[in-house]
Amino acid sequence: MDLDPNVLHVAIRWLHVAAMATAFGGAITVLALSARPAPDSANAVLSVAIRYEWMFWAAAGVLAMTGIGNLAAFGAALLGPATNWGATLVLKLGSVLTLVVLSLPRTLAVVRMSSPAGSGLASVTTIRNLYGATTAALATILAFAIWLAHG
Amino acid sequence: MGSAMKLVTWSLATFHATAFVLAIVLFAYSRDALGAGLSSLNTFVGLGLFVALWGTTYLTTSRALRGLDLISSARDRNRYASRALRWGAANGMSFLAILGAVAIVGAIANTRPGQVASGILFSALFIAPIALVVSAAVGGAVGGLFGIIDLGLFALAGLGGRGTDG
Repeated sequence: MDLDPNVLHVAIRWLHVAAMATAFGGAITVLALSARPAPDSANAVLSVAIRYEWMFWAAAGVLAMTGIGNLAAFGAALLGPATNWGATLVLKLGSVLTLVVLSLPRTLAVVRMSSPAGSGLASVTTIRNLYGATTAALATILAFAIWLAHG
Repeated sequence: MGSAMKLVTWSLATFHATAFVLAIVLFAYSRDALGAGLSSLNTFVGLGLFVALWGTTYLTTSRALRGLDLISSARDRNRYASRALRWGAANGMSFLAILGAVAIVGAIANTRPGQVASGILFSALFIAPIALVVSAAVGGAVGGLFGIIDLGLFALAGLGGRGTDG
């Protein structure tokens, strides 16, 4: 029995949205935890940040994989880069690539902070800045995605 | 391998696979060459090939980082660049092997049984050595480029100093 292509495309889009929700929701959670830390909560915030980094990279891989699947669903009907839609897609892809590149130093910084000499209040401040920037970047990408879907 | 290095391996491997694919998609789309390429690709095959690339990149990144402590040793970070070149070549060949297997199985499924040996397997045997050399060269170049980018990103994360090895 052949699988209905519409069912496959809906499944891929669901996975894409779920991965984005994981990346965006997780970044907001770490940002919220680091915004007003209790004096002895640095290690707890760092522990959540480490867990988020595992999930973030899984989400990034799934987003790239399903994002290409979403583009493939357009087939030959995919609008070109000279259109408004195409220019926005170029901006979105460029933003995602930039986020992926700049997320590696964020992960490495969090891993470095998790070493015994790295934890403390200064680490929580750095975490707040790192996840504030990540949340802002993901919000921008989400805005592009909403415009592409409904604009 | 400690949990810190496991996270570094996972993030590096996923970073390499996603950045590589995103860069190709962005380049192809900005030249209006993406639609035709994607429309000829079966969705399952496309997803499967990304998972295969992700998997081979994870395995080769794990091997490249084996025994290295990138977080605290500057000497290990310097050794990583040459390993990235070597294991990038291995990744290129591994991915080509999967790609080749998929292409051969697909071709056999669409060929009459009497023509499989002469039409497909003989051609595959002839092309395979050349394709492996090309894939090793391309993989090595991409691996070497990522090795340089990674070292720049390590420095951006504050891992550019002498480390704990003096």
